[in-house]
Amino acid sequence: MNRACLGINKNLHEQNLNASSIRPIKNNFVRMKKISLLFFVSILTVSLFSQAKKPVIMVFPSDQYCISRGYSMTFDNQGLSQTLPDYKKALQTDPDLRLVITKMGQIMADRGFPLKDLEQELKNLEQEGAEMSMLTSKSGAGIVESPIDKLKRTAKADILLDLDFTIKKSGPQTYISFNLKGLDAYSAKQVAGVAGAGKPSASAAPEILLEEAVLSQMDSFNAGLMRHFEDMFANGREVKMLIKLWDSSGDDLETEYDVSGESIELITAIDRWLDDNCVAGRYNRSDATASMGRYEQVRIPLMKKDGKGIDRAVDTRTFVSDLRSYLSKAPFNLTSKVYQRGLGEAWLIIGEK
Amino acid sequence: MKKRLNLILLSLCVMALLPGTLNGQTRKERKILYHSQYNYEIEPVGVGQDGTKVFKVWGVGKDVNEAIMKAKADAVAACIFKGLTGGAGSAPTPPIISEPNAEDKYADYFETFFEVGGKYLQYIAVTTDGDPSGQDRLKLKKGYKVAIYVQVMYDALRRQLEADKIARRLDTGF
Repeated sequence: MNRACLGINKNLHEQNLNASSIRPIKNNFVRMKKISLLFFVSILTVSLFSQAKKPVIMVFPSDQYCISRGYSMTFDNQGLSQTLPDYKKALQTDPDLRLVITKMGQIMADRGFPLKDLEQELKNLEQEGAEMSMLTSKSGAGIVESPIDKLKRTAKADILLDLDFTIKKSGPQTYISFNLKGLDAYSAKQVAGVAGAGKPSASAAPEILLEEAVLSQMDSFNAGLMRHFEDMFANGREVKMLIKLWDSSGDDLETEYDVSGESIELITAIDRWLDDNCVAGRYNRSDATASMGRYEQVRIPLMKKDGKGIDRAVDTRTFVSDLRSYLSKAPFNLTSKVYQRGLGEAWLIIGEK
Repeated sequence: MKKRLNLILLSLCVMALLPGTLNGQTRKERKILYHSQYNYEIEPVGVGQDGTKVFKVWGVGKDVNEAIMKAKADAVAACIFKGLTGGAGSAPTPPIISEPNAEDKYADYFETFFEVGGKYLQYIAVTTDGDPSGQDRLKLKKGYKVAIYVQVMYDALRRQLEADKIARRLDTGF
């Protein structure tokens, strides 16, 4: 019986090349395997390259939670006393916090968004710092780390889950007040949020009430997150862009250029490029001077086709790099540097690399 | 004279009844209302165990058994299309399918899903379907309206609908 999708190979010469007379049909399997492999590889390639960049999500205990419980550091900032949350201390000493983060992580992993663990990330950063300071080449050379590299070595995420909860008492009964905000790290907008109090109980342990609070609230929170992602796919990723100048730059943003027979300022040329390249031309120039242009609510496409016609994921760096490329050509002929601040923010600094 | 008096009385009776007939529900309307696919009567009773939702749901049927089966189907349908209101310590739960008019768009799928003895029963974990009594069992003119307590396997139901491409996954597109 012929197998489905398997035509009989009547070319005996070809069969003799790879199969014995005992198994004359072997070559057909070889061909079928090759076709199947090619098919699956092409499917895999399409699926790999047609995915938008996935935001990193991390739970942070809120400043209020940390400071009110003493998980904080106070230091003198030029004569001004400043208090900052001490995440490490909070995660090492607060079992309730760990329980809530674990439960949230379990639910988010089930929804296809495993959370980046803050405690592990802090440990990794410490370890990375220690290794970097010890690592040398055979000739004794150390690893180059600029001050900005050191500054950037912090726990980061694209969406921050700002968590706050309190175990409250009402007479003999205990209940949980729960507050969770999903914040876009770049636009500082709240993209999802839930808040509320659980049912008071005189018998249930606080741990059970905490688990109930998470179970009860997370579906609603994820629905908010879903709306945010749907909006992102429909209208593009909302990002921030900053245009700056090196002090060595000969031009500024008010320098005029002849573009298509019209004399326009550099900042206007950038506006027009954004008109053409943002999703539905949506962006907002919130502030600008001769030396700075601040763009907010810039809606960038999630995907774009490259030179080979393959869909590629776009992040802010890619988008701003396209602007850099536009400005490097005539009539501008400007050299500029792209400085990335995560998935949703990038700076273009004009003048040199 | 007597004939005229009777006619006036009859007209007055008709006029008195007319507003009631216009504003009240006819039997046919009530029947439609009870069998409407949008008429889910849900009452939260607490927070369910991991991945489940527990609530009280009402169903209407010619007899108690039919009403119970209708209540079970309504419990699953409410999780899919309507969502659950918050209360008794539980926060509101959004519907699994947020897409408008999904019940019409995927009508064929849901017809099979909710057929008698259909797959929807797989997502009802625990019910009190020993005959409901007291306030949970109301006798209507033709049939019963009963309430049962159900535990719906909400996460398993969501995963099934996501796998069948009916509901959108949170990470779709990434």
